Amino acid sequence: MLAFLAITLLPIGWMLFSSVKNSTDIAIGRIGLSQNLEGKAEVHWDNYVDMWKNVNFGLYLKNSLIICGCTMVIAMFLSTLAAYSLSRFKFPGSDLFSNSILATQMIPAIMYLIPLYIMFVQFTLITGIPIKGSYWGMILIYAAFFTPFAIWILRGFFAAIPKELEEAARIDGCSAWQVFSLIALPLAVPGIIATGIYIFLNAWDELMFAWVLTNADTMTIPVGIRLFVGNYQNRFDLMMAAAVIATLPVVIIFFMLQKYIVKGLTAGAVKG
Amino acid sequence: MAGSPKTKKINLERKQRIWARIKRDRIAYYFIAPTALAMFFLHLSPIVQGIYMSFLNLNQNTLQQYLLAPFVGLDNFSAVLIDPTSPVRIGLFEAVRNTIIYTVIVTFGTLAIGMFVALMLNRNFFGRSLVRTLFLFPWIVPTYVTGLLWGIMWLKEGGLVNVLLVDWLHLMPHKISWLTGPNTIWAIIIPTIWRYWPLSMLMLLAGLQTIPEELYEAADIDGAGPWKKFWMITWPMLRPVWFILILFGIIANTYSFNIVIMMFGFGAGFPGEWGDLMMTNIFRNSFQLWNFGTGAAASVILLIVMICIVNVWFKYFKRAEEMS
Repeated sequence: MLAFLAITLLPIGWMLFSSVKNSTDIAIGRIGLSQNLEGKAEVHWDNYVDMWKNVNFGLYLKNSLIICGCTMVIAMFLSTLAAYSLSRFKFPGSDLFSNSILATQMIPAIMYLIPLYIMFVQFTLITGIPIKGSYWGMILIYAAFFTPFAIWILRGFFAAIPKELEEAARIDGCSAWQVFSLIALPLAVPGIIATGIYIFLNAWDELMFAWVLTNADTMTIPVGIRLFVGNYQNRFDLMMAAAVIATLPVVIIFFMLQKYIVKGLTAGAVKG
Repeated sequence: MAGSPKTKKINLERKQRIWARIKRDRIAYYFIAPTALAMFFLHLSPIVQGIYMSFLNLNQNTLQQYLLAPFVGLDNFSAVLIDPTSPVRIGLFEAVRNTIIYTVIVTFGTLAIGMFVALMLNRNFFGRSLVRTLFLFPWIVPTYVTGLLWGIMWLKEGGLVNVLLVDWLHLMPHKISWLTGPNTIWAIIIPTIWRYWPLSMLMLLAGLQTIPEELYEAADIDGAGPWKKFWMITWPMLRPVWFILILFGIIANTYSFNIVIMMFGFGAGFPGEWGDLMMTNIFRNSFQLWNFGTGAAASVILLIVMICIVNVWFKYFKRAEEMS
């Protein structure tokens, strides 16, 4: 099993290692580091500085954080309310709503992207308000796209909260809103955190929409990296440095909140 | 009869009952209203427009006309499906073939490796939770980084894979060109499995922990071997987990995009006839050749195929449930 673990982690170790090598060493496939004139191994920490200067990475990082952060907040607001409603009430239209949530997961992203792209172009032509290439255009789309899946996960969390608690509160004279905000919501916080992180990770990873719908000022990290590697085909060292920096934020978030995420993802799986 | 006063009264009562329920549970409607609104504008309306656009001649010249672009009936569909001379068809067959191979191997590969590791981790040993956490690592690496990283690892000269296989282990006589020719399909399958199997492992492990120990004890008394125990107890008990994993695996892998697009020419190139998938193909047609109409038609066809596959899978699952 340790051997398997080693093979699994090898590409990541190699990514870290390559990010401090010089680019010829990567290209010719030398595994070790080159030695400098004094016979010491060269560790190119300056790759990171170079990359930061060449790629305008600061801007992409800021854009990604703004877009993914706002997406997470809005998607969680929408999905918490909707998931609570679906897990507690059986109302006319609830089946239709929950089925359409599942159905959205089957539709290829490109099928949304073509009409949305053209809609955005038209909207700007008619009203003069730029939406393609704006933050809020991206945020709206991401929020809408990640909400159905978030509802699907969160529903399980709300369903796991014992109903008796809420019924007791109703008898004590709480309004439906109070029952939700004072009882169900606090109990679902771990689930909400897990789902929120999951949404953030997914938004961080999204390339296709961002590629088409952002411009030079609102580009997110994946689009920025794609553009950069297109221009500097042989600077493998800088590519790897950029890859490490792009991975770092999500790794930090993941390991800080690992417990919640593992619980959150597996809660749905076990119940089926 | 429909018109008799009695049925009218019953109908009225039913209506009133439904209204009473709607009034009582009105908070449920307030709660889904924002999501329903967002889904109407950003899911339903693009989908309806997308389906309509698949009947239009929509390219960079007619883009300004939006939904008033020339209506061409089923021309786009015939360009995608039948007409052998249409430019959309170039590489389409290869993309479909690759997508099928890729989806099947990746979906079942991630499931098999995930199952194997989950079984190994489903024991108590020192450092278990640390090992589990380390195994999750590939799954946190963003997919675009996965594509980029493996793109460099597969390089013919100097790529880590060739260096390991040829220079260090001497498993192959000479260096293999992974990113051209039929090898490309493996060059996209292996990184995808590498990226996604930890998720399967996590889900299956959670499932394994819910299987009651008594079942295995009973099997021990009956003298069942480990292989038999796996197929008679573990696999059927995990059915809800692998049902979901295969379902989402098929959907996600058919619509796979990031890893492939980042691996070839690092986001700029053509993945080659053994590396092109449906998504990269449609994306190229739509946003690099500006054939939006045929792009929409191809995605409608893809959606219909996907709906059929998902339905078959649900039917199979229901039957398996009933049989057991």
